[in-house]
Amino acid sequence: MNISQEDAKASLSSVQNVMGQTHKALSSAYANPLLIMWGLLWLIAFTTTHFYIPYAFYIFMAMSVIGGIGTAVIIRAFHSKAPVKETSTNNLSWRITALWIFLCIYIIIWLFLFAPFTGLQCNALICTAVMFAYIVMGLWFNNRFMIVLGLVVTAGTLVGFYLLRNYYCLWMALVGGGALFGTGLYIRLRWR
Amino acid sequence: MAQLDNIIHQPVRLQIMSSLISLDQNEQVNFTYLRKLLKLTDGNLGAHLTKLEEAGYIKIEKTFVARKPCTFVIATGKGRDAFAEHINALKEIVEGSKKQIQ
Repeated sequence: MNISQEDAKASLSSVQNVMGQTHKALSSAYANPLLIMWGLLWLIAFTTTHFYIPYAFYIFMAMSVIGGIGTAVIIRAFHSKAPVKETSTNNLSWRITALWIFLCIYIIIWLFLFAPFTGLQCNALICTAVMFAYIVMGLWFNNRFMIVLGLVVTAGTLVGFYLLRNYYCLWMALVGGGALFGTGLYIRLRWR
Repeated sequence: MAQLDNIIHQPVRLQIMSSLISLDQNEQVNFTYLRKLLKLTDGNLGAHLTKLEEAGYIKIEKTFVARKPCTFVIATGKGRDAFAEHINALKEIVEGSKKQIQ
């Protein structure tokens, strides 16, 4: 049986399509509920902070606690119906959890070391550190969207910090919360 | 010169292998999820998986998740090697001469 160049091309193209589809479908299964939840939390927390700036610390503490609990609930809910499981004991979900726990510890260390002068500096440091973790996760899972999202929100944070100080929180609600929520929604609608 | 593999070359089996190869070596995918992803019927997917399993290209594991029976599929090392060789052969054809399926 001979196969022509056209058949070979068609086969290679089919392989590319299925690989892309698989990658997107698996990413969407886990990523979109978390991105949508964190996007909404950022949106609410930053918008509320703009109007009640003295309560910023409490608002962001509440957001972190709600987000942490929400993340655990979503991961647990998805674990039982996960489309992919690992055969090795080197469990991926534990490594991801460890990454975020270490990030939180390092953010606290950096806050003590650099002692940011204002709440704005403090917030920008945390936002850029979190986005750095998004980029790391994107590189880890070979997920272009996570990398782009991390870079876009980092750039948005810098623009807000240097150019829109008076509207920083509203800007971050739009750019940070909007980007996370929008990406989650896009993945949910387009990658299914 | 890489050789084409007539077990993998069948279009549905090529799709199955492409999907499994997209995962990490230690990851296995749920049968139901694979069926939906590739838009196949239970019987069709099952038949092609059996062929691939007989060739030693995949492993099928039946287990229980939350007390429900669940089937997971994983590409073996032999399957990954065969798939890589098949892809190389396809690339060689695209680049030049026609090739005979072994």
